[in-house]
Amino acid sequence: MKQEALLYFTDTWLTLLGLVLFFSFFIIMLIRVYSLKKEYFEMMSKLPFKELEDER
Amino acid sequence: MNQNYEYFSYDDDIVKKFLLATMIWAGAAFLFGLLAALQLAYWPLNLNSEYLTFGRLRPLHTNAAIFAFAGNAIFAGIYYSTQRLLKARLFSDLLGRIHFWGWQLIIVAAAITLPLGYSQSKEYAELEWPIDIAITLVWVVFAINFFGTIKKRREKHMYVAIWFYIATIITVAVLHIVNSIELPVTFLKSYPVYAGIQDALVQWWYGHNAVAFFLTTPFLGLMYYFMPKIADRPVYSYRLSIIHFWSLVFIYIWAGPHHLLYTALPDWAQTLGMIFSLMLWAPSWGGMINGLLTLRGAWHLLRTDPLVKFMVAAITFYGMATFEGPLLSIKSVSAVGHYTDWIIGHVHSGALGWNGFLSFAMIYYLVPKLWSTKLYSLKLATTHFWLGLVGILLYYISMVSAGITQGLMWHAVNENGKLVYPDFVETVTRIVPLYWVRALGGVLYLAGFILMAYNIWKTLKTAPKDQKEPTYAALKPNFESSSGETTHKKLEGMGLVFSVLSFIAIAVGSIVEIIPTLSLHKYVEPARVTDPYSALELAGRDIYIREGCYTCHSQMIRKLSAEVLRYGPASTIEESMWDRPFQWGSKRTGPDLARSGGKYPNLWHYRHMMDPRSTTPGSIMPNYPWLYTKKTDYLVLRKKLSVMQSLGVPYTDEQLAQADLDAQKQAMSIVEDLKQNGVEDPKLEEKEIVALIAYLQAMGKKERAE
Repeated sequence: MKQEALLYFTDTWLTLLGLVLFFSFFIIMLIRVYSLKKEYFEMMSKLPFKELEDER
Repeated sequence: MNQNYEYFSYDDDIVKKFLLATMIWAGAAFLFGLLAALQLAYWPLNLNSEYLTFGRLRPLHTNAAIFAFAGNAIFAGIYYSTQRLLKARLFSDLLGRIHFWGWQLIIVAAAITLPLGYSQSKEYAELEWPIDIAITLVWVVFAINFFGTIKKRREKHMYVAIWFYIATIITVAVLHIVNSIELPVTFLKSYPVYAGIQDALVQWWYGHNAVAFFLTTPFLGLMYYFMPKIADRPVYSYRLSIIHFWSLVFIYIWAGPHHLLYTALPDWAQTLGMIFSLMLWAPSWGGMINGLLTLRGAWHLLRTDPLVKFMVAAITFYGMATFEGPLLSIKSVSAVGHYTDWIIGHVHSGALGWNGFLSFAMIYYLVPKLWSTKLYSLKLATTHFWLGLVGILLYYISMVSAGITQGLMWHAVNENGKLVYPDFVETVTRIVPLYWVRALGGVLYLAGFILMAYNIWKTLKTAPKDQKEPTYAALKPNFESSSGETTHKKLEGMGLVFSVLSFIAIAVGSIVEIIPTLSLHKYVEPARVTDPYSALELAGRDIYIREGCYTCHSQMIRKLSAEVLRYGPASTIEESMWDRPFQWGSKRTGPDLARSGGKYPNLWHYRHMMDPRSTTPGSIMPNYPWLYTKKTDYLVLRKKLSVMQSLGVPYTDEQLAQADLDAQKQAMSIVEDLKQNGVEDPKLEEKEIVALIAYLQAMGKKERAE
C-alpha cells in the first residue's frame, strides 16, 4: 500500500521550484508596495468617487 | 464649450441588457438547481425522461448558474464600472451588442444541447466544440471592447477593479482555449487531445480556475467598485488591494490539483496543489477583510440598508468559502470530504452567497440608477435578503452534514478490518432526509429571487418613459509620466504592460504544473499498459458520457485503505491512459465504477438500468428506459476509432475497417448471454443498453494480455 502510494512521488524539484518562484515574487511585490507613498493610495482609493456631472 | 474638455456619454444600454439577461437566466439556473435537488431527494422526479434526467440536468444547472447568471452579471458590472472608472464610453457599441447577443446565443445553444446529451463530460466545460469556438470568438470580442476602452480612457490611473477585470479576461481565455483543444468526430461530438491524467490535470486546472477567474476575480473587481459606492466610502486599504490582487492571481492558478488528491495524479503535482491552496488563505482573507472594513464607521447601515446587508453577507460568504476551500485541500480532510456532498455545500456557499448576493446587491444598486428612478420597495429587498440567507444556510448546513456523514461512513472499518457499511446504498439512503432540507433551502432562495424579480419589475414600471443619455465632460487625456513617478505608478498606468505581467503571473504556475504531465510516458509503467476499448465498449462509453453518469459515479479508486477494501486496488495511471475524456468524476452519489467490470453478470446491468431498485433496493438512481429503445450508431464507430487512432490510441487499421462489424459481433455475444438468462427482447443487439453493458463490463478489465 505504502509502495503504491509513493509510486508517483517523483519530480520533487517541481514542487520546490513552485515555492521558490512564489516566495521570490511575493517578497519583491511586498517591497514595491511598501515603497509607495500614502498619498498615492489615497488618490487611487478615491477613483470610484470621481463622478462626472451631466452637462446637458 | 471648453476646448480643454471632451464631451461624451456612457453606453448604459448594454449594461441594462446584461442586467435583464442576468435576471432571466438567474431564474432558469435556480429552477434547474431546485429540480436537480428534488430529483436526488425523490428519484421519480427524473420523470423517466432522458431530457430531464439528473445526469443531463446537472450540467445544465451548473452552466446556467456560472455562465448565464454569473456571466451576465459580470458583464453588466464590468461594463458599468469600467466606463466610469476610465471616464470613457465603451470602445465600440457594436462590439458590445455582438458580445451580448453572442453570449445569449451560446447560452441558448447550451440549453438545447445539454438536455439532448451533447456533452464532453468535463465539468463546467461540457459544451461541444462548435459552441467552444463560439465562446472563444465572443470572448475575443469582449476583450477587444474592454482593452479598446482602456486604450481610449481619460483617466490615467487604473483602479484595482480594472486589474481584476484584466486578469479575468486574459486567464479565462487561456483556460478555455487550452482545456477545449479537441478533435471533432461529428458536428456535435469530439474527443479531447488529452487523455487520462493529462486530461484530469488540464480539466481541473481549468475547473478550479473557472471558479477562480470567472466566479472570483471579476466579482472581486465588482466588490472593489460597488462596496465603496454602496457604503459611500473608499476601500479600507488600497495597499492591501494591491497585495490581494498579485498574490491571488499568482497563487490561484497552482491550486487545481487539490481536486485530485490521492488519485493516480503524480504526487508532486498533488503536493503543489495542496500547498498553494493553503497559501490562498492569506490573500483571500486579505480581500475579505478589505471589503468588510470598507464599512468602517458605517456599520449602522447594516441594520437599515438591504444593499449593505447583501454586500456584507456576500463578502462574508467569500471569506467562509475561501477558508473552507484550502481546508478541504488538506489531504486528510480531502480524504473525508472529497466525492461527498460537502463539496456541493462548499461550492454553493460561494455561488449562492458570494456570487448570488453580490450580484443582487449590484442589481438593486444599478437598476434605479440606470432607469433614473427609485427602488420600488426596500422592504421587499430586505425580505429577499433574509429568505436568501436562510436558504443558503439550510443548503450549506444540510450538505456539509450529509458530506461528513457519508465520508465517515465510507471510511468506517471495524475491529476485524472490515467495512462497517459495505453496501454503498446504505450511505446514500442515510442522507436522503438532508437532501430534502437542501431542497427547502433552494425553495427559500428561489422565493427570495422571485420577490426580487417582482421588485425590479415594479421599479422599472415607475421609470420615466423618455430617458436621454446624460452627457459628461472630462479633461482631454494627458498621460505623460512625470519624472517623480515610481515604477509601480508608471506600470499601473500602462494597460498593455500590466496585462502582460498578469499573463506571466498566471502562466508560470500553469507551465510548471501542466507541461511535465504532458509527457505521459514518464509516468507509465510499461508492464501495466492497458488495451484500448473495443468499438462496442467505446460506443457504450459515449452513452455513459451522454447520460452524465460522471455526475454521480467516479472512476478513480483513491489510495486510501477504506477505498481499497470497498473497490479493490487503487487506480493507476495506466488504467485511464486511453480515456478521452477522463471519467474520474468529482462526486459519488453512486459507488465508484473503476473496477465494476465483471462484478455483476450482464443480466444484472440489464435490469439495473431499467429499474435500479430491482437490483439495489433503496437506490435513488433514475431509470433509463430509453436505452432499451434507442439504437446504437454502429456506422459512426469507424470514424470514432479513426479519430482516436489519430490521437495516439493504438488501434490497428484492421480494427478501424472492422469497427462496426466487431461491435455487432460483441453485441451478439452479450445478447446471447442475456437470452440464456431469460431476456426476450427482439433486436436487442441494436439497442444502446447492450453497448453500455459492454462498457460497464470493461471497466478495470483492460489489462494487456501477456
